[in-house]
Amino acid sequence: MTIASGLIDLHIHTTVSDGTDTPEELFGKVKDAGISLFSVTDHDAIRAAKTLSPLCEKDGPRFLPGVEFSCRDRGGKYHILAYGFDPASEPLNALVKRGQLLRADKLLARVAYLRETFGIEFPEEEIFRLLAESNPGKPHLANLMIKYGYAITFRSAMEKYLDRLPSAAEYICPEEAIAGILSGGGIPILAHPLVGSGREYLTDEEMERRLTRLKEYGLAGIEAFYSGFTREMTKGLLEKADKYGLLVTAGSDYHGTNKTVRLGETGLPDPADYPSAFLRFLSRVGV
Amino acid sequence: MDNKRAVIIPLSGRIDSANAHETEERLASELPADGNAAVTLDMEKLEYVSSAGLRLILRVKKSHPDLSIVNVSPEVYDIFEMTGFTEMMEVKKAYRTVSVEGCEVIGEGANGKVYRIDGDNVVKTYKNADALSEIMHEREVARLALILGVPTAISYDVVRVGDSYGSVFELLNAKSFSKILANEPDRFDWCVSEYVGMLKKIHSIKVPEGKLPCAKRKILDAVGRLVGALPAGMGEKLLKMTEEIPDSDGMIHGDYHTKNIVLAGDEVLVIDMDTLSVGHPIFDLVQMYNAYAGYSISDPEIVLRFQGYDAATARRFWRASLAEYIGTSDENEVTEVENKVRCLSYAYLIDRAIRHKDTDSTEYKLWSEGLLSILPTVDSLVFDCGGGEIAQDPDSLDIEAISDNLSAVVDFVNAKLDAADCSPKARMQIELAVEEIFVNIANYAYAPEIGRATVRVSVSDDPLTVTITFIDRGVPYDPLKRSDPDVTLSAEEREIGGLGIFMTKKVMDEVAYEYKDGQNVLTLKKRL
Repeated sequence: MTIASGLIDLHIHTTVSDGTDTPEELFGKVKDAGISLFSVTDHDAIRAAKTLSPLCEKDGPRFLPGVEFSCRDRGGKYHILAYGFDPASEPLNALVKRGQLLRADKLLARVAYLRETFGIEFPEEEIFRLLAESNPGKPHLANLMIKYGYAITFRSAMEKYLDRLPSAAEYICPEEAIAGILSGGGIPILAHPLVGSGREYLTDEEMERRLTRLKEYGLAGIEAFYSGFTREMTKGLLEKADKYGLLVTAGSDYHGTNKTVRLGETGLPDPADYPSAFLRFLSRVGV
Repeated sequence: MDNKRAVIIPLSGRIDSANAHETEERLASELPADGNAAVTLDMEKLEYVSSAGLRLILRVKKSHPDLSIVNVSPEVYDIFEMTGFTEMMEVKKAYRTVSVEGCEVIGEGANGKVYRIDGDNVVKTYKNADALSEIMHEREVARLALILGVPTAISYDVVRVGDSYGSVFELLNAKSFSKILANEPDRFDWCVSEYVGMLKKIHSIKVPEGKLPCAKRKILDAVGRLVGALPAGMGEKLLKMTEEIPDSDGMIHGDYHTKNIVLAGDEVLVIDMDTLSVGHPIFDLVQMYNAYAGYSISDPEIVLRFQGYDAATARRFWRASLAEYIGTSDENEVTEVENKVRCLSYAYLIDRAIRHKDTDSTEYKLWSEGLLSILPTVDSLVFDCGGGEIAQDPDSLDIEAISDNLSAVVDFVNAKLDAADCSPKARMQIELAVEEIFVNIANYAYAPEIGRATVRVSVSDDPLTVTITFIDRGVPYDPLKRSDPDVTLSAEEREIGGLGIFMTKKVMDEVAYEYKDGQNVLTLKKRL
C-alpha cells in the first residue's frame, strides 16, 4: 500500500529542540496541513518520536523518526539529518547523547563565564529552564540579561558581553555524525546544503568541495527541496545530486513561531513530477 | 578494556558556584587522569545541585565517559530530568525504602517472600545478594509474557527492603488458588478448569526464538548427570527417552502451582514469571508433580505448609488437572501419563539432592526407589496432549506479524482457496484484503515491538463462503470505527489513510471486528 498523496515535509522542529510546537501540537497541525508523510528532526534529539510514533500509528499521517545533528570542523558548519535509523541503535544514541552533552556544556560554560568575568548571576531555575529548552544560545542569555537588569537592550547585551565570550572548543565533526548515523542503520542527509556558516550561500566551488568530502565519509543525500531555496537553487542541487549519485529530500525547517516558514513548505513539485532521487529516498525508508 | 578501575565517589550536601571549584579539585585528585575508569558518583547524601554543579558533572562525563550516577534523591533527580541530563548519562534514582515489618506474608518461595504492604500493593522480596539483577530479569520476562498474551502482573517499582531489594506489584483483592482450594472446597472443579485452561493457553503461545531458555536443555543436563549414578542401562534409557521428547517453541511456566495462580477481582493471573522457558508441555507437568507430590513424598506436612491445603487435596487436584489437561476421564490413562511425568520429576529431584549433597534423606531414598520402579514400565515420555490446542491447527497459521511474512500469509490463504475452487477475481480481491489487514497488524499492532498474529481460514458450503479471521494481541484497534474516506475528493484534498480498510470493506461481503480476551479479532467473509 502506498501513502495516498499529500504534502511531504521531512524537516520539522518541536519544543524538544528549538521549535515552539510540542509534539502533540505539531501532530494536530500536520494533520490540518494535509501532510501525508513527515519527519521531526530536532537538534541532537529523537525524543519527539516517543510521542509521535504511537499517535500516528493510531490515526494519522505516516511518521518517520529523524534527527538533525549540528556539526563543525575546519571547513565550516554543517547540519546533518538522519532518517530511517533504528531508534534503539547504540551508536546513534551515543551521538545524540554527545550532541546534547556538548550543547549543555556550551551553555553552562557561557553562564560560568558571565558569572566569573562579569559577576552576572541568574536564578538557577532560569538556567535549568534554558537547559531544558535544548537549543539555548546567546540570544536566550541576552534576554535573561535584560530581564534581570544587566543590560538595557538586546544589542548592548550581545555586544558588550556575549559576543566577547570564547567559543566552544569541542564539536561533533561531520565524519563522526555520518559514521554514527550509518552504523545506526540510518541515512545521512546534508540539510539545506547551500547554507554555510553564516548568512551567505556557498559558492558552487565550495559546494563541490563540501559534497566531495562528505560523500567520502558516506553522505547519502542532500536536502535539495528546502523552504529557503529558490527554484533555481533547487535545480542546481538536483544536478549535483545526479552528479554525485546522492538521494534527495525535502523539508521546510519549520520551527513554529520561531520562524516564518509554514509546514509543508518545501518547494516539492506534484507527486507525478517527483525527481527519481527523491523517489529513491522514499523507497529507502520504506514509503 | 576490561581492566578498568572502578571508582566510586560519594557527593554530599550542595554543589553550587560557591564550592564547585573545590569539589572539582577533590574529584580531580580521586579520578585517574587517563579517563580509564568506570566512575560512579554516589549522590545518596546530595541535597542540591546548581548549574555550576551540573557543569562539573559534564566535565567529569567528558573526561570519563563511563560515568554513572546513582542513589539520586527525588529532588536532585528532578533537576537532572528537567535539564535533560537523564538523557545524556546514566542517572539512577535512589530506591524508595519499604518496611515489611508486621506486613502479612501472602507468599513464600525458595528465593524470597511476598508481603502485602497495603490494600492494593504487594512487594516481592528476594534473598539473594544479586537480587537487583534477578528483579530486572523477572520484569523483562514478565513483560515478554504479557506481550505474548499471558495475563500476568508486572512490577511497577523496585524498592529497598532492609539490606536487599523488592519489586512492587499492584494486586487488588488478589487471592491465590491455594487459598481458594484451602477455604472454599466447593470451588474445586472451578479451580481445576481455570487452572488447566490457563496452562493450555500458556502452552499454546509460541515464543520467538532466542527469547527464553530451553526447558529440555535443563532436564537433559540433570538426566545426563544422573546416568552414572543409576543401575546399568537405566540411565541410558532415561536419557534416550528425554532426548526423544520433541522440541517445541511453546511457552513453559516452570513453576506452575496453585500459589502462582491468583484471582484478582474476576481475572485469573499467573505470577512468578522468572522460570519461563520454552519446550514440550511435559516440562511444566514435571514441576507441577513435584509441587503437589514430589517434594512431599515422605512428609505430607510439606504440602500443607507450602500450599495451605492437605496432601490428599493436592493429590486430587493434580490428578484432576492432569485428566483435564490430557482430555480424558480414564484413570488408567491418567496414571500412564503421570508415570512418564514422574520419571523426570524424580530425576530432577535426585539430581538436585546430589548437587546439594543431600542424599541421606528419606526423600532421596523414596525418589530413587520411585524412579527405579517406574522406569522399566515406561517406554516413551511422549504423550497426546489432547484438546487439539497444542497440535497445529491446519486451518490456522500462527506467524510473527512482520511485513516480511506477508507472502507466507498470502500463500497460506491461497492454498485454502485452491481447495475451494475460487475464481481469479475473488482471489485477487481476497488477496488485497488479506494484504491490507496483515500489513496493518505488522505495522501497528505491536510497534515498536514485534508480536504474533493468527490467520484462520475456513470455507463453508451453501452458499460457498470463505471466512478469514485475523487475531492479534496488540493494542486494541477497531479499523471499522474510522469513517470512510471521501473518495470523491481529489488526491490533495483527501484525508490520508483509511483507504486500505475502505477497500477491504468494498471487496468483501462482511467485515466484523471484535475485541475479546485481550485480542483484536477481525473477521472477513466473502461468498465465492
